[in-house]
This record gives sequence, C-alpha cells and structure tokens, in this order.
Amino acid sequence: MKTLIKKALTLALASLLALGLTACGGQDTSSKSTLDKDTWIVGLDDSFAPMGFKDENGEIVGFDVDLAKALGEKLEKEITFQPINWDMKESELKSGNIDFIWNGYTITDERKEQVSFSKPYLNNKQVIVTLADSAIKTKADLKGKKVGAQSESSAVSAMEKETDLYQSFDGGKAITFEDNNQALMDLEAGRLDAVVADEILLRYYITLKGAEKYAVLDENFGDEEYGVGMRKDDQKMVDAFNKAYDEMKADGTLKEISEKWFNEDITN
Amino acid sequence: MNGIIGFLEYFKMLMPQVMDGLLVTLQIFGLTLILSIPLGVIIALGRLSKLKVLNVITGAYILIMRGTPLLLQIVFIFFGLPLIGVTLDRLPAALFAFTLNYGAYFAEIFRAGIRSIDIGQYEGAGVLGLSPRDTFFRIIFPQALKRVLPPVGNEVVTLIKDTALVYILGLDELLKIGKIATNRDATLLPLVIIAIVYLALTYVLSEIMTRFEKKYDYYK
Repeated sequence: MKTLIKKALTLALASLLALGLTACGGQDTSSKSTLDKDTWIVGLDDSFAPMGFKDENGEIVGFDVDLAKALGEKLEKEITFQPINWDMKESELKSGNIDFIWNGYTITDERKEQVSFSKPYLNNKQVIVTLADSAIKTKADLKGKKVGAQSESSAVSAMEKETDLYQSFDGGKAITFEDNNQALMDLEAGRLDAVVADEILLRYYITLKGAEKYAVLDENFGDEEYGVGMRKDDQKMVDAFNKAYDEMKADGTLKEISEKWFNEDITN
Repeated sequence: MNGIIGFLEYFKMLMPQVMDGLLVTLQIFGLTLILSIPLGVIIALGRLSKLKVLNVITGAYILIMRGTPLLLQIVFIFFGLPLIGVTLDRLPAALFAFTLNYGAYFAEIFRAGIRSIDIGQYEGAGVLGLSPRDTFFRIIFPQALKRVLPPVGNEVVTLIKDTALVYILGLDELLKIGKIATNRDATLLPLVIIAIVYLALTYVLSEIMTRFEKKYDYYK
C-alpha cells in the first residue's frame, strides 16, 4: 500500500508540475514599447455598448472598436480585441495580457498613477437620471435618496468627490451594480431613486428603453474625458498615438466614425 | 416584441452566440472533470495514507482549496502567478484553478467512500492472498466508487454552474453571453434563454448520473 501511494503521489506531483508549466512563456512586454510590436491587443469590456460590445452576430463592434481599427490601419499594426473584466483592466494591462485599455475609459487622477493616458478624445458628463415622474429636480434633492451607479466606474469617483452630498445618500453611499443596465432596471423597478452614469452610455440605453420614461437632470457630477490607457511610462507609444490621432482628426476619419455611432461629431 | 413569435425570433438570433458560449462552458466543464477526478483519488489516498507527512500536506491542500473562494483562486492563478514567472493563458489558467479546487472536493468524497468499506473486505482479500495493490484496485476502490456516485453527481451539477466564474478572465461563457446581450438589447430575455440552456444541461447530466447509479447498483 505504501509504495503504491508513493508512486501515485510522485505521479500526481509530476502531472501538477506539468500542468503548471505548460502554456508558460508568455511574451515579455515589461521593458519594450508597445509601438515596437506588430500586433496590438485592445482590452475591452465586451458588454459596454455603444463603445465596444458584441453585436447580434457575435462580432465585437462599437465606436471605440472602429477607432482602434482605424488607428491600426494607419500605423500598419494588426489589431486584436480581447474581452476582459472591467474590474481587472489595470491588472490586465500591467501583466501584458493587453496593450490598450480602450473602452470609454475615463481619465482620472487615480488611474493616471497606474496607466499612461492618450490625449482626451471624447468629452463626457456624469449625468443624473430619474424616472420621468420623479420629484428629484436638483442635485440637492438626492439627499436621503437611493442612488445607483456602475461599480468601479468613474461615476462613483465623481460622486465621491462631493463628499457631503455623497454621504447624505440613503445608506451613506451609492448602490453599485455590475453594469449600467442593471442600475437602470433597478431604477425602473422603483427601488432606486436615481442613477448616475456616463452621458454617452446613458443616451444609448434611454433611446433603447424609451426616452419618455426618463428624465435627465440639468445638474450633473462634472465634466470628464475619455482617454486610451497605455502602459505606464511608455511615452513612445503615447506620442505616436497622439500624433496619429491628430492626423485622423484632420483627415475626417474621426468625424466619419463619430457620425456613424452618435449621428454627430462629438470627438475632440 | 410581441409574445411567443417575438421570443422565438430573438431565440433564433441569439442561438449562434449561445452555442459559442456553450462551447466554452462545456470545455471547462469536461476538462475539469477529466483532470480533477483522478487528482481527487490521489489526494484521497494521501489523506488516508499512514505517512504523517502526506496527511499534513493533503490536509493543508484541502483546507486552502475549500477554504478560499474559487473566484479568488482563479484571480491568483491568472494575475498572481505571472509575478513569480509563470504565465498561463486564459483557458489554461481557468482549468488549472478549477481542477485544483474540484480535486479537493472530490478527494473528500472519495476518502469517505473508501473509508466506508468494511474492514472485513481487507481481511478477506488478505486471506485470499491478494496483494495490497490488488486489494485496493480490485476489491475496495470499485465498491467505494459505486457508493460515491450520488455525491459526485452533486459536484458535477455544481461544476456546470460554477463555470460561469471564468467571466473574471473575460472568457465569454454561457452566462457572459447572456449578460452581453442583456446590456446590448436592454432586455432580460437573453438571461431567460441562458437559464433554459443551463437547465437542459443539468437535466442531461442528472439523467446520465442516474443511469450510472442504476448500472452499478448490483450486489444489493
């Protein structure tokens, strides 16, 4: 019995090691600039309509996706899209699994410490949406109310900046959801009083669900900008990106993509 | 969307994507089963061994694997291991985590099964002159296997639903496909469809397990 167990265990250890070591040897991206690579991996949350999501045919499409493809064509790089979990985006970038975070990624000071940003390419607002018949008309009315937002989103950071107001919400903080659609469903069910979210995203959902059901307040939680996240200190890549972006702006590529998704040119 | 026809049309539109998701789910499910059941047997032998050191090692292994959330184990293996130089791709990382985790649960099931066999069986085999190896593989283990079929079936059904945890690595499995469609079309319909698919899968698996149980239900 003993020898049998010993044999079995050696076998187990060997197979575990084998399992652990196969598929090793991922690419070393830590020191090189992304610009020197031939294939670029764009990381995105593929449930993030209209910036990047899977359409009815299972193809990854969206405003940011078209933008990334146009950039790839311009700089003669092959672009691949890797779906990631949004909570893990900075870890994915740092470990080299992806080369860009490009999916309605808001520029914030906290994120600047972890990634290098391109120049801002879209202006955005954190708007407050309620049901059409709601009594909430101003930001001050949110006091004591249940406010929802997407977890780990810039909506939460924007609200946290207005500490007094944020802490006056019912429960002392916002109720966070995995995605904005869930927050809006909760609003519709009447368990939330308001939802704070990116204006661009919100417009997409409101159009889809019926604009007459909702009201967007005049006041908001501040302007912000979308940028593309690249590996920290990869200045070479950031410079090349910004230069190509300016050229695409000048030659009308951006206008065309923006009009396709938003019916107007909203790029910077 | 008007009634049944609308639902069926939506169902038809979503089907190709559901199939893609199903493939990922079944891949993780099947490979995890194939890898974790033998691992479970080996760990169970370690737990039952007379060697103290093996008891401690396998005991600690089971404690860690059952004592921490599977989701964390997936995150550690995919994002943590690269820090010590081991970089796994998404699917292998998920499989590695699932195998280690389910191996621990299977180990305890097999241990219970092996323990439940009467000591007289060992004595009888000894009297007949069977070697310890033959005693275990020909007498004890086959009987234990029969007894543990119901709890193994339980784990199998749990596993098919646990595969949804790989969303954290961005893998588009069944549930994620449903969430993507829900976000895109702002309707709960895709989740209803996904629930039906899970239910069908679980039904088929339960049926298979029941057949197995019946087939090996002799000597009673």
